[in-house]
Amino acid sequence: MREYLLRRLSLLTFMLFALSIFTFSLSYLFPGELLTNLSGLTNSNYTSTQLLEAKYKLNESLLQQYIAFLGRITHGDWGISLSSGENVFEHIRILFPATIELCVYALITSVVIGIPCGIISAVYHRRWPDNLISSVTMLGFSIPIFWLALLLIMTFCLTLGWFPMSGRIGLLFEIDAVTNFMLLDILLADFPYHGLAFQDALHHLALPTIVLAMYPTTVLIRFTRDSMLHVLEQNFIKTARAKGLSQAQLIIHHALRNALLPVIKQIGLQFSTLITLAMITEVIFSWPGVGRWLIDSIYQRDYPAIQGGLLAVSMFVILANMTAELSHSLLDPISRNKAHGKI
Amino acid sequence: MAKFKLYSEESNRSPLSRLWKKFKRNHPALVGLWIFMALLVLAVIAPVVSPYGINQQHSDALLLPPSWHDAGNVRFLLGTDDLGRDVLSRLMNGATYTFGLSVVAALITTFFGVILGTFAGLTRGIRSSFLNHLLDITLTIPSLLLAIIIIAILGPGLMNTVWAIVFALLPQHIHSIRNLVVQELNKDYITAFRLDGANQWYIIRRGIFPNIYEQIVVIFTMALSTAILDIAALGFLKLGAQPPVTEWGAILAENLGLIYIAPWTVGLPGVLLFLAVLATNLVGDGLRQVLKDRKAD
Repeated sequence: MREYLLRRLSLLTFMLFALSIFTFSLSYLFPGELLTNLSGLTNSNYTSTQLLEAKYKLNESLLQQYIAFLGRITHGDWGISLSSGENVFEHIRILFPATIELCVYALITSVVIGIPCGIISAVYHRRWPDNLISSVTMLGFSIPIFWLALLLIMTFCLTLGWFPMSGRIGLLFEIDAVTNFMLLDILLADFPYHGLAFQDALHHLALPTIVLAMYPTTVLIRFTRDSMLHVLEQNFIKTARAKGLSQAQLIIHHALRNALLPVIKQIGLQFSTLITLAMITEVIFSWPGVGRWLIDSIYQRDYPAIQGGLLAVSMFVILANMTAELSHSLLDPISRNKAHGKI
Repeated sequence: MAKFKLYSEESNRSPLSRLWKKFKRNHPALVGLWIFMALLVLAVIAPVVSPYGINQQHSDALLLPPSWHDAGNVRFLLGTDDLGRDVLSRLMNGATYTFGLSVVAALITTFFGVILGTFAGLTRGIRSSFLNHLLDITLTIPSLLLAIIIIAILGPGLMNTVWAIVFALLPQHIHSIRNLVVQELNKDYITAFRLDGANQWYIIRRGIFPNIYEQIVVIFTMALSTAILDIAALGFLKLGAQPPVTEWGAILAENLGLIYIAPWTVGLPGVLLFLAVLATNLVGDGLRQVLKDRKAD
């Protein structure tokens, strides 16, 4: 186990190193003035240019510049956004919780719906529940999520008026941002309308969560179904059946445990897809998260912001994947023996 | 359950014709194949058969609903948008951009993916390990995010989108093809082949490729459905095709402001996108299922 952890840790270091190299090179790849891309300051005069050049070590070797870059990143100095003039890191700190909140609820929804559906589909293989679930999954798998979002907005917001169209909470409520997670903030806030505010926040959450959960749910259903079908064909299941176990005993005690192990890993891997899809969802529902901010930064050619946003999002994706793999190997001893880099 | 075969019928038909025979029995996949073909034909001949030009404006017919609606006009089968442009013509031409370019992007990806994947499959030792680490990193980043990063560097635009999608899909492709090649290389018949004195190139050409090209087609369909979704999503986010271009995602984004008064201008491009992705997925899934069934025979 220790060797395994060390190997994973070295891989993680390697990945973060590669990511930092990539982000570092971005400011050279982006069009525009290098100094502006790095600092986010435009129209600087001679003395300030001299100061900045000294700060970013532009006259020294690339290695020196890279070391300086690492130092800045770890100190939280991620440059200044060209469009807002504020610190990029501060933006990310405020906006990221909104995205994570949305992703976590979507992930929970997809796990709660996806895994049972996948199991049912495998247990009733090639009978009507399976056919129904598989067809619906195929439809959900193929639907472009921005179109799904628009359809839902058309029916539930414009025609029926059940849900609000944008934002995280109604303008009537003023919530102090403590953790930047809306539901937590409401609980922590100190005013008499907890219930109403909570309900309002849930109303705002409903549509984005459904839209975001659609794709991972279908992936989980398909994956669970395949994994379950694979396990149900194994010899130990046949033996158990020959012993005279009932179908329910067979599924609950023998098939599920083995079938759900790879699913756990898959759940973690969904996080990276979720973060990307969250960008589109946030744009449509005007959700004040890091995805919408990143897309806006691309429109505005706000290079320091793009760089910072990409670094934050990619780092998060890598860490989430690593956590998924670790938790998977904690539960499944066989997977630890696989040497890394071998497939 | 039990796999008894009471009458084991001898079947000497070629693998491909057995494949087609099984595929025909899967009706959804067959329907998917027909839609796929129709879209492919449309993508090629759309500029010739569309009733009006894509930017031809009819100032007498602004925001006309589809012709089955009471206020509709049969001249404009699917209605018009706010500039009086025929929605049908624009959507037909959209097939060239969204579907046609996706096919091109997926083909380019497959081409490079097969070459690089085969090389990756043949390398061993430290180079292979390094390559795998590199692939592992890029695999964890979803294709759309990677495409957005590349667009951020290259700048928005339709051709940039295609390149971005090719680059974004490539790691996944190389990985899958590498796996196929390695799997095939470990089989006994390849060892026998090698003992007979076959060189590397001969093993690849006569031993591996005839056995994996069907799988490559399946990988191609997966790449294609991702490519369609990504091109449309980037068009929708205004990072890909820019408005006068009739890319379906871009049409959707352009008409977003009309969602209240002209919902058909938003709904119809989405229907086509959905159909294109669905058809591709149906064909891919059907093919994968058939390959699995044929192996089981």
